[in-house]
Amino acid sequence: MRPLVECRNVGKEFRYPPQAASLREWFIRTVRGQTVRRPAPAFRLSGFDLSVGRGSTVSIIGGNGSGKSTVLRLIAGIYIPSEGEIRTRGRVAAVVELGMGLHPELTGSENVHLYGTILGMSRSETRARFSEIVDFAEIGDFIHVPIKYYSSGMLSRLAFSIAMASEPDILLLDEAMAVGDQAFRERCGERIAEHLNGGAAAIIVSHDLDVVRRYASEVIWLEAGRIRMRGEANEVVDAYLASMSGAEPAADSEAASSAPGQQPEYLAEA
Amino acid sequence: MATLDDVRVITPRSRGRMSDVWRFRDLYRSLVARDLAVKYQSSVLGFVWTLLNPLLMLAVLTAVFTHVIRVPIEHYWAFLLSGYFVWNCAQQCLSSATYVLHQHASLRRSAAFPSEILLLSAATAKHFEFAIEIGLTLVALAIFHHHGVPNSLLVLPALFALQFFLVVGLMSPIAVLSVLFRDVQHALPLVILALFYVSPVFYSTDLVPESVRGLYMLNPFAGLLSLYHAVLFEGRFPSAGLLGWVAILALSSYGVGYAIFRRYKSLCVEVA
Repeated sequence: MRPLVECRNVGKEFRYPPQAASLREWFIRTVRGQTVRRPAPAFRLSGFDLSVGRGSTVSIIGGNGSGKSTVLRLIAGIYIPSEGEIRTRGRVAAVVELGMGLHPELTGSENVHLYGTILGMSRSETRARFSEIVDFAEIGDFIHVPIKYYSSGMLSRLAFSIAMASEPDILLLDEAMAVGDQAFRERCGERIAEHLNGGAAAIIVSHDLDVVRRYASEVIWLEAGRIRMRGEANEVVDAYLASMSGAEPAADSEAASSAPGQQPEYLAEA
Repeated sequence: MATLDDVRVITPRSRGRMSDVWRFRDLYRSLVARDLAVKYQSSVLGFVWTLLNPLLMLAVLTAVFTHVIRVPIEHYWAFLLSGYFVWNCAQQCLSSATYVLHQHASLRRSAAFPSEILLLSAATAKHFEFAIEIGLTLVALAIFHHHGVPNSLLVLPALFALQFFLVVGLMSPIAVLSVLFRDVQHALPLVILALFYVSPVFYSTDLVPESVRGLYMLNPFAGLLSLYHAVLFEGRFPSAGLLGWVAILALSSYGVGYAIFRRYKSLCVEVA
């Protein structure tokens, strides 16, 4: 059986600023005959390989800005890689940022329909699964309230429920369960396990190393855009913890995470 | 479980599949509905408000150009009416292109769907309003101007389609530019204002000197508005030559604009 997700030597560069910031500046430079130099990459993910088969869960760990979310966005098809190739088979559902893809002014139920269509569900499919989504998210009557009044827990429960209802072959979760309470996390875990038994694959990004140990069959440790270590869950998590408690590597990873241009997110604010 | 036949290969050269736009048609529909809903739910008078602004402008323009600067066109109000909403819709679409990608930045960074849908849905919502405005225009012209319904209205759907292609084609590079250069949104109003004066909105193409007419018709809105004037105001079928010319402009604008958009859209996701 071919794997559901395959990444071969995938790389991604982010530059800042990505282009001349203003038309005026670009024009003046062009008139003066100055070439607009491409800035050096502010962040680079490189040499990323991955293969996830049916029923297995891969977890990606690492400090802030190590490229975990970038990997998920690449697999989801949100970003286009700078090099390499990504192959996916079947429906992909990504819960990548808290409440992302949900619209604050719309009510919970309107968002269920909107997010459902974004995840590739047909309208009739979303309607058929509507009560299931609301029940699992435990939103209750709040489903008729604009989601800007939701707590962060409610938002993540709703996003997760919709993603699961789309029955993805490939489930991408980025800290999706971090804000849920213990009971909800338990139910999420059960639901994911059930889904994986059905033949799906999951890639989970989490800072909760207990979750990682429990669910992941393989763990990849990213550092500054490169794979530092990969392998069996406990082995990698232990090494990761050891590096953080040890004096020397800790300073190292600290430097990496405070380096400028670590996260592509701030490009958005430019 | 969705079909596993849906194999997707993403490489640095991927631009997304054309069929994805169709696959996400429900999203397109939701976005159009949301655009309209947000606009009309927020005020009690709803549609009346959006109509009030152009009506006021129409009244001012009619007063100025029939009493102060006399434009030699009879039934000036009817002339103005048959082109004004076209221009109004087009310029709103063009300015919306500077912000739609920013507006939905979080959506685009959290889900993979073709960004074309954002442009198409913004343009569709505006053209939906335009259709209502043109409907009202038709009623007014039939009662007070033509005293009947001219056959030329049969061409109207074709004009409508050409307008949509032309506008979406122009919106695409504007959208890309305004993501890459932050001052495009400030420059565009000037361009639009200039375009307003070199388009036959408050005067007719006939008033443009013959010597520069060829140059003048390079402006796609000159041709488009002339078509509307022929069909709505004069109630006659437009010449095949003019129709063909506008069709060429509209389709090439759409083709070129879409090609530019596909080339740069992945960069836009990262920046905006």
